[in-house]
Amino acid sequence: MIERYVEIASTYGGNIDALILLIAALVGFWLVLCEVVFIGFIIKFREKPGVRGQYITGEEKHQKRWIAIPHYLVLVCDIVIIVFAVNIWYTVKQDLPEPDVTVRIIGQQWAWSFVHPGTDGLLDTEDDIKMVDELHVEKDKVYHFKLEARDVMHSFSVPVFRLKQDAVPGRIITGWFEATKLGSFDIQCAEICGIGHGMMAAKIFIESPEEHQKWVALNDPTEDSKHTSTVAANNAAAN
Amino acid sequence: MTTRLVILAMLSIAASSFGFTPANAEADSNANGKELYQLCAQCHGKDGLGNQVALAPAIAGQRDWYLLNQITKFRSGQRGTHFYDIAGMRMRPMALSLRTDQDVADVVAYVAAMPPEKPAATLEGGDPEKGKTHFQVCLACHGPNGEGMQALNAPTLNHSSDWYLLTQLQNFRAGIRGTNPEDVTGAIMRPMSMTLPDEQALQDVIAYIMTLSESK
Ligand code: HEC
Ligand code: HEC
Ligand SMILES: [Cu+2]
Repeated sequence: MIERYVEIASTYGGNIDALILLIAALVGFWLVLCEVVFIGFIIKFREKPGVRGQYITGEEKHQKRWIAIPHYLVLVCDIVIIVFAVNIWYTVKQDLPEPDVTVRIIGQQWAWSFVHPGTDGLLDTEDDIKMVDELHVEKDKVYHFKLEARDVMHSFSVPVFRLKQDAVPGRIITGWFEATKLGSFDIQCAEICGIGHGMMAAKIFIESPEEHQKWVALNDPTEDSKHTSTVAANNAAAN
Repeated sequence: MTTRLVILAMLSIAASSFGFTPANAEADSNANGKELYQLCAQCHGKDGLGNQVALAPAIAGQRDWYLLNQITKFRSGQRGTHFYDIAGMRMRPMALSLRTDQDVADVVAYVAAMPPEKPAATLEGGDPEKGKTHFQVCLACHGPNGEGMQALNAPTLNHSSDWYLLTQLQNFRAGIRGTNPEDVTGAIMRPMSMTLPDEQALQDVIAYIMTLSESK
């Protein structure tokens, strides 16, 4: 349903949507029911000629029922939500599958920088591809990201992944994703981080293995090749 | 906003009925520049004299062609997209927030018209005498008083803050500025920064630049 408005491009995107819908349905049911009862009572007990208003303490059994029964039912709904939420939280945030590739993601005022492992597949080596505003990944591969912040708190948000993770200065936070769709999608910052927060946008490029290989080869900073991206080119010069 | 427009319209009608030319385009464009500058003031200060904590340099009175050139570079990503360019990445979204070429032109005109001021020195340990020797290279483009030269795209240096001159020279040398393939004028300055042999030479030449002033 939500997918009609924002595509899903990660393995766990569907779980998050299902959870949001579950919460919306349960909470929505109670919202509508309460309003109906309230409005019904307002109409039923409106001012009538010759009837005096009563002071109700709500201590009698038949009155207390109106609170007690829904209360227990809402608790049951809460438990249902908690069971689903913990389950999904565990898959998305805690049970990280073994990575095929690890990238570094750095938030700063006001841009996202990315370190791709390059040809050797390892981070923090000569051939790392450092980029601002562009993250290139391969479809159907498990990625771990090491998330850092250079100055204040940011939040790495990829709407099509249904992924959001705070970046906290001084910490390296590991998370994961597996992309399921080719294409380029938005990356945002989801934590107010100063005057340029709203413009802290970047792009994620999800590529097929062949496309990705080509991109890596073209941007290898240790090769004096023609760079596809001017960003990569000027970063290569400082490596 | 609407009130301002209404007042402007009324004023221009009043002016024309008295035989004056209506509020001319120049005054209008400055009003826009002034309004746009509200954002810039957050970091560059309301008088355009910079703020080191925000890493934002003094820009008041900088040459309009240079301001235009740099804002254009920030917008196109020739400046402020380098992995290590902390300060530039802060400026880039601000430049991108200017929506039209007219907005850019207006804010540039506004900044260029702000009176510059010689900022106080923050660095110590530079020797202006030694710096003067190094500056013999620089003056070919930046002028003997560091006043800048439009023909060579070289900006005014004589009312920049010393900490900003230092970071820029370091950036040019490290390839953080002036290495983007599209950045033609930056590519001219980058080799010049390499003529300074070491960190001490940077300090010296900056100490000398700090003694220069506009003498026109
Ligand atoms: C969030 C803070 C911030 C705001 C707001 C901001 N700037 Fe900047 N600006 C900076 C920083 C930081 C730099 C230094 C970049 C560097 O060191 O490379 C800079 C650099 C510049 C430069 C280059 C100066 C030079 O000598 O090369 C110009 C021109 C400039 N800003 C104009 C503007 C204008 C015009 C606005 C308003 C539209 C603006 N700035 C708003 C932070 C800001
Ligand atoms: C061949 C001409 C040339 C020479 C010589 C030269 N420069 Fe430059 N300089 C430039 C140009 C052009 C720019 C503008 C770069 C740009 O457009 O980004 C510049 C920019 C700068 C800036 C950045 C100013 C700012 O506001 O951001 C500094 C600082 C600077 N030069 C210092 C020096 C020093 C110090 C020397 C001498 C060692 C020197 N330059 C020699 C052409 C030159
Ligand atoms: Cu942010």
